[in-house]
Amino acid sequence: MDILVVDDSRTMRIILLRAIKQAGYRTLTVGEAENGAQALEKLRGDKPRLILSDWNMPEMSGLELLRQVRASNDNIPFGFVTTEGSAEMRALAKKSGADFLLSKPFTSDDIYEAISPILE
Amino acid sequence: MKTEVSVDTVVQIVQSIFTTMMDLEVTTIDLPWQPTGERLTSSVYLEGDWNGAVSLECNGEQACRFAGQFLSMEPPDAVDDDVRDVLGEMANMIGGNIKSAMGMDIRLSMPSVIDGSNYELRVCGSEVKDRIGFSFVGGSFWVTVLGKEGLKPGTTSASDSSLVVM
Repeated sequence: MDILVVDDSRTMRIILLRAIKQAGYRTLTVGEAENGAQALEKLRGDKPRLILSDWNMPEMSGLELLRQVRASNDNIPFGFVTTEGSAEMRALAKKSGADFLLSKPFTSDDIYEAISPILE
Repeated sequence: MKTEVSVDTVVQIVQSIFTTMMDLEVTTIDLPWQPTGERLTSSVYLEGDWNGAVSLECNGEQACRFAGQFLSMEPPDAVDDDVRDVLGEMANMIGGNIKSAMGMDIRLSMPSVIDGSNYELRVCGSEVKDRIGFSFVGGSFWVTVLGKEGLKPGTTSASDSSLVVM
């Protein structure tokens, strides 16, 4: 698995998968999880090159997922893809160890700009 | 410091979401709100320095059209979970961007979607601050802001740059 997409919305997972392919990464393998807890389960078996996560999710938020990933000394690159892009949330994301925060709505060009420095 | 968003900002946010995610041009229309027939309302609730809700409302046919456009597929024949999920995500994006534009300490709820023909959305203690009608090639829809504090004109821009590298 190259990228793990974490979002409770099936719609957004579909949109993200499509945007990743449109950004030129057609051959990458992309895993999916519906929330932070499910993502942690998946991370036990496979370490992706990048985690793309929503912020606001039931059971375990994206921020809690990031904190748990970093607490386990895992330096997997982590980006938020979220509707919430306030300065406070960006600061909190950075402080917690996120590599970037991409706010919705986004284009495939935005996705490319965000993930290409990490994947290439 | 608190800032509030203008109606113009809400319109910019809605237009940006429809253009970017669905390649649909939408314009505002002066259309009376007539909640009749089968319809869907997707909402997110905001709680904190500003309390209220943001909702998106349209009929089933338009919701199916949005889902088709959003997911790049043929519109479903009837409202299903995918259609509700798309409507919920649209409300989530509109509400999240309004929250960001406000620049306040506000928490955003998960989106919820109601569909039916005989209901009214009320948020305790809140009133309709703005109800904006939009039209697109497939019909019309409304975005409603309910709140306990007024939306005052022109204090913020629609959004910051979408990507921020940490």
